[in-house]
Amino acid sequence: MYGHQGKILHVELGKNKIWTEDIPEEWRKLYIGSRGINAKLLWDYCKDPEITWDDPRNIVVFAPGAVTGTTAPASGRTSVTTVGCTTGLYLKSNTGGHWGAELKFAGYDHLVVHGESDKPVYIHIEDDKVEIKDAKELWGKDIIETDRILKEWHGEESRGLYIGPAGENLVRASSIHCSLYHAAGRGGGAAVMGKKKLKAVSVRGTKPIRVKDPKKFAKVAEEMRELLRADSGAQGLHEFGTAGSLAGVNELHAFPGKNWQTGYTENVFPITGQALNAGGYLKRRVACFGCTIGCHRYSSIDKGPNAGIASGGPEYETFGALGNGPGVIDTEGVLLANEMCNRLGLDTITAGGVAQWAIESYERGVLTKEDTDGLDLGWGKIPELLEIIEALAYRRGNLGDLLADGLKIATKKVGKDSYKWAIMNAKGLEQSNVETRSAKAYALAFAVNPRGNDHLMTETFAEFGASPEAIDVVEKITGDKKWASPHHTEFRAEIVRWHEDCYEITEALGFCVFTSTAAYGVNPDNMARMYTAATGIEMSEDELMLTGRRVCTIEKAFNVTRGATRAHDNLPWRLMNEGAASGPLKGATNSQEELDEMLDLYYDLHEWDRETSWPTRETLEMLDLKYIADYLDELGKLP
Amino acid sequence: MEKLLLVDMDKCTGCKQCSLACSLIKDDLFDLARGRIKVLKKEDIALGIELLCEQCDAHPCIEACPDEALSRDESTGIITVDAETCTECGSCVEACPYHGIRLHPETNIPIICDLCGGDPYCAKHCVPGAITWEDKTDDLVKEKKKLRSARMAMYRIHKKEGEN
Repeated sequence: MYGHQGKILHVELGKNKIWTEDIPEEWRKLYIGSRGINAKLLWDYCKDPEITWDDPRNIVVFAPGAVTGTTAPASGRTSVTTVGCTTGLYLKSNTGGHWGAELKFAGYDHLVVHGESDKPVYIHIEDDKVEIKDAKELWGKDIIETDRILKEWHGEESRGLYIGPAGENLVRASSIHCSLYHAAGRGGGAAVMGKKKLKAVSVRGTKPIRVKDPKKFAKVAEEMRELLRADSGAQGLHEFGTAGSLAGVNELHAFPGKNWQTGYTENVFPITGQALNAGGYLKRRVACFGCTIGCHRYSSIDKGPNAGIASGGPEYETFGALGNGPGVIDTEGVLLANEMCNRLGLDTITAGGVAQWAIESYERGVLTKEDTDGLDLGWGKIPELLEIIEALAYRRGNLGDLLADGLKIATKKVGKDSYKWAIMNAKGLEQSNVETRSAKAYALAFAVNPRGNDHLMTETFAEFGASPEAIDVVEKITGDKKWASPHHTEFRAEIVRWHEDCYEITEALGFCVFTSTAAYGVNPDNMARMYTAATGIEMSEDELMLTGRRVCTIEKAFNVTRGATRAHDNLPWRLMNEGAASGPLKGATNSQEELDEMLDLYYDLHEWDRETSWPTRETLEMLDLKYIADYLDELGKLP
Repeated sequence: MEKLLLVDMDKCTGCKQCSLACSLIKDDLFDLARGRIKVLKKEDIALGIELLCEQCDAHPCIEACPDEALSRDESTGIITVDAETCTECGSCVEACPYHGIRLHPETNIPIICDLCGGDPYCAKHCVPGAITWEDKTDDLVKEKKKLRSARMAMYRIHKKEGEN
């Protein structure tokens, strides 16, 4: 087979069964790979709404992309798909690192984990040899220790994917790590692994990957590589990492601080990518498999009381969630919190999200010292922040147990209007660090995101018009450069819909979304040409983009089976009702009226029903998804 | 003008584009084991150590071959393997002080970097600039040796850890 390896590996933990299945040829045309085929698999196995995240029938699917393992630049990403723990809805998360490429070299495009073990296990894969093995010695171990032991058992060149104590303890903020410092972080996928008692998957692969037309493939890869080499966004990502843009975002008064109470922070420098370089903390610029950008960081503290602390990152989101969010404007403070999350297997965004909510709740007197186990919480307090993180990972004490279930459950337990400063929407995922009050396409994209309000199902960075390439993208979508401006509500639906499709195909092929929606070297046109060169399957740009829309529609339909309606497509109370704190949009909010206007246009573009937000039979059939229309009909969920 | 390949570990992000590119240009497919350049990755400290033929002056691989299957171009330093004579014994792999030779996973014949005949394909793929194809000067010859020593020093530490 060309491009794909052609195999899906199934592992049933409860029944101790292992089997493989050929990828149906039709799926390669309709869903492409990775996130796309994952969506089809999750639908087929878990569409029944009785299958909740903790049901043994829930599956977790891990998949590198259709061109992962090749010289396609930055194509080493892996999508992880399951019924999410945090929201109970569709969850796709995505990780970099080197694990996914290794799975593909072992001969598999997808790994589907079914069932639930009654004792801790891990999966060991060496090409055709696949085993479910006892993980007694790994259970309870942190990420670093787990990786070390797996390499001791299976060699330095094996690649590991694992959960830490947080995942074992079914913490909503837990994240699936791979290659140590990379993570499919959001939505509590690690808790699904924890429930299945699956500690880790160790892989070593030695099978070549072939493409149909190596010369054409190399030519398209070169085109992408050279576009990225010249792209100012990509250069900045390499030089300063994802956190290199923080100072600029702060200048726009769009850097959320103190639980979204501020948008601008004075003397923000200590929590920027530039501070890692200047302070001597940055040790190496690191790339995921096959990535020519290398935006990841490896940093350490060499001197003083914190000497010896070393880890991957921190990323933009971590400087936000564990820095500006809890008011820690301190490089080493964030490095400490980041290292702890990476070690215990926590998603820094959600860990920071629940910590900020706890601090504000304590300030307001809604949480007492009894609730915090004696901790005197406050903004900018580093030791207390570290205490929160550790309590969270181990569900320790009243505070740890409260925060471990995430804000959706915690706000219900605590009551007292505490949802008003919980930065999540109706789906219940803690928001990533973006100021949606001043970026309207982001606001819409966050509201409709099937997994909750963050930037990782689509990214509409182009609306800022920060580079000539970004402005070109907006012009291509809207017909006019002037819409490359984030304060407008006009054309936001078009911008979101286009980026949804583009983002989906980017992930389906295995590319990093930075290459197509933050930097601009990979685009629907060259991806279509690359897919054809890799697989031999004829695919135009429009056809490829349509596969993106098809997959987004499956993801939407999956949530419809779980009762999602238009009411789930909203924004956090604070962002809808309280004005931005400062800057050009001081006092401006997202509002229901503004959102409704954009939602109507967005549903129209998708040809979904405005009132319910549900896809119609006609739309589903147009996308070759009649089987989904029939099932939704059975559930009485067709508009 | 004569040229040389500079390989700087400190600029390496560990992405493995070089090995992939090498297997593509030589074998028309993607397989890290077929790369004439290998990146030994130490994930915990985010280190990538590049290993490849250095076209060295000592070239002990040639003497190590019991069948005289290896020959060296005196002007470029490039080592060529005569596949007809080679008995796939692996003596050259053992002899290389820079761990730059491996056996092809299918044919078992040693695979050795030939600088793509003067236009190294891997260098075009290395955007961070860890692998560059430079005009040869006395200073750069010294620099090449310095960079090589740094890689070998790390390799020895890494290898030792791997053996524990």
